Amino acid sequence: MESGAVLHGVARPRRPKSLRARFGNLLSFRWAAIALILIGWFVYYPIVDNFIVSTTDQDIYTGEVTNVGLANYDRLLHDPVALLALWNNCLYAVISVVFQVFGAFLLAAIIEDLRSERWRRLWRAVYFVPSAISITVTGLLFYFIYQPQIGLLDAALSRVGLSQFVMPWLGNEHSAIYAIIAMSQWQGFGYSTLLFAIAIQKIPRDLYDAATMDGAGPLRRLWSITFPLTREMAGLMIIVTITGAFQVFNEVMVMTAGGPNNSSQVLGTWLYQKAFIEDNFGYGAAIAAVIFVLTMLTGAAQLWYTKRRRVQL
Amino acid sequence: MKRSLQVVAVTVAAVSSLGLSTTGSFAASAAVAADPNAKVEYSGTLSILTKFGLQQLSPYFVNLAQDYEKLHPGVKVELIQESDDSVKGKTKTLVASNSLPDVYFSWTGSWGGNFVRGNRAVDLSPVIGPDTEWGKTLSPAAVKAFEYNGKFYGIPLYQDAKFMGYNKQIFAKLGLKAPANFEELLTSCDAIRKSGATPISFGNKEAWPAIHFAGQLLAYNVPQATLERDFDPATADYSDPGYVAALKQFSQIVERCTDGAGVNGTSYASALQAFTNAQSAMYYQEIIEFDQAATPDSALKPADFGFFRLPVPDGAKGDAKSIEGAPEGYMINAASKNIPLAIDFMKFVTSKGNAQVLSAPPYGQPSATIGGASEKNMSAAVVDGLKDINAASYLMPWLDTANPPRVAAVWLSSLQALAGGSMTPEQVMDEVRKAASAAK
Repeated sequence: MESGAVLHGVARPRRPKSLRARFGNLLSFRWAAIALILIGWFVYYPIVDNFIVSTTDQDIYTGEVTNVGLANYDRLLHDPVALLALWNNCLYAVISVVFQVFGAFLLAAIIEDLRSERWRRLWRAVYFVPSAISITVTGLLFYFIYQPQIGLLDAALSRVGLSQFVMPWLGNEHSAIYAIIAMSQWQGFGYSTLLFAIAIQKIPRDLYDAATMDGAGPLRRLWSITFPLTREMAGLMIIVTITGAFQVFNEVMVMTAGGPNNSSQVLGTWLYQKAFIEDNFGYGAAIAAVIFVLTMLTGAAQLWYTKRRRVQL
Repeated sequence: MKRSLQVVAVTVAAVSSLGLSTTGSFAASAAVAADPNAKVEYSGTLSILTKFGLQQLSPYFVNLAQDYEKLHPGVKVELIQESDDSVKGKTKTLVASNSLPDVYFSWTGSWGGNFVRGNRAVDLSPVIGPDTEWGKTLSPAAVKAFEYNGKFYGIPLYQDAKFMGYNKQIFAKLGLKAPANFEELLTSCDAIRKSGATPISFGNKEAWPAIHFAGQLLAYNVPQATLERDFDPATADYSDPGYVAALKQFSQIVERCTDGAGVNGTSYASALQAFTNAQSAMYYQEIIEFDQAATPDSALKPADFGFFRLPVPDGAKGDAKSIEGAPEGYMINAASKNIPLAIDFMKFVTSKGNAQVLSAPPYGQPSATIGGASEKNMSAAVVDGLKDINAASYLMPWLDTANPPRVAAVWLSSLQALAGGSMTPEQVMDEVRKAASAAK
């Protein structure tokens, strides 16, 4: 409700705030001061400092710092591995949105459409279990699944007569990134499904009953009721998934460390390689700044979209 | 638009200058030399970064720390134990944040040189130099490996070098002997593969295992003086034809002796496990891994374990008696508040008794302390390997620690591509030359 609202048909004039009230408002900030300082120091200062470092070239051993302006960003634009890493992040994002948003939405709708509550619980749990495993453990697990000599995947392909597809999944420059992305979908799919299931549960059953009485089939109900009323969750999931795709690091480090021949580098691992292996912290900070801007833009765009298209009951 | 660009430019300039003032304060201090007459204060905390993070190695420093604390109840030893892979990133993070512990692990070559260049390591010449009491207890060659600008900065803990370990049983079953030359190695591989076993288990997921094969082959094919000139960024040109020859030999090994392109999908540890399980006939390994490859409990028993140097290719123009390897050791942080205590602890670590424990199974790290590598306690293979190291005419440093990090990174990724078949030896050398030129 806006101030100066109409009460009993008479507009109440806005009264100017007294000095005491204004001072009192300022004083109320003291309760939030510690939180603001902590957030400022641990969240916002590092972001600003990262941008500062990205305009320098540092020798970590001697402590010498040279101001290079935007040279690190210029170099980034001409670095073929950085561009490949960006492409791999985009690939990660697109595939993850397809599986972890649209796929998870469909699966959640199917599960929530089951009549038996017991089956619904079982399937939610079945799909959620992989999300409860640490990403590092999952990475190691899939390293063994993809292993060329003792791996389950190649053995299974050979057994079912598909030996032409047998390959060193993580050791091949063309398949390594897809093998990592596939593992990530396996891990994240259940979590998204659970969130969509919660969103679907919040939709009043009356709407489905009314639609059924009007002759709407399952697909029509999905498209006309479930989809619009979970759009907010879908928007949120798209933000989370795309942001996560640009921050991916652990799974790549554990499974390939960006190899072979940098073919599975993503921005996060390339940042690590440049800063912590090649001692190029300025360039690493420039990559970090790009990741920050990309994730911020994604988040802002999605928030704007969902706000515009919000459906309220 | 023009105004916006101006605003951006001004902001960047302001932010950059702020960066200079902020980060400039991390500049390293002046060089610090050890004082041989300094009194040791046995109190406080001593932090140590080791490379003994692996499960089978970690008890060594844990036990040493406990023993030292018992001897000096006022001292608390804090250990940060990392593995071979993780110690690299950890060390650089600690350097960048000015948080190096009192004592830290270091390789020789450009890796250790960086600490010296930045005044991060204590000049230990007055306490560990060749004529000092402590220096006389250590292998002179090992101490010399940490010499920079005529001063000694490192405390060598153990010797290390690369050998081809082999399963004597598999070789005997196929009527094979340890190969005498490179061509014999390849024909042995063909025979082993025919029998259904993997000739050499090779895991190159981490990229540095390929560097080890290539490093030894480079030492055989490229003259020592050329190699050392090329390791120095100021003079590097990597134009010797021996480089391409060595990489062609490496490709032959990958093709005829290993799982081919699949090696990039296998980790170094998995490959070692395959050898230990007697699933492969050979494994190219460091002497410090001999006691892990063959144990009384593994399929490959110590009695069946043999080793030989990577055979020399015919007509190679480098040093046929060279061996790839280097001692590994520790440095003292120049910013440490208790340098005398840190030195005292390292004297304790390198004492004869503790050195003998280090050299014996299960650790099997041949100590750099004179008399520390006792034949009575050590595995026969480690004893023989150590003799071979001492007979080598040249110790070829690890390629990834001898080169500047940006050149080393190109060696690592390009050799992965060569092993995977997506680059030729000539293309690898083109990439290395470009990186070396950019690093000048």
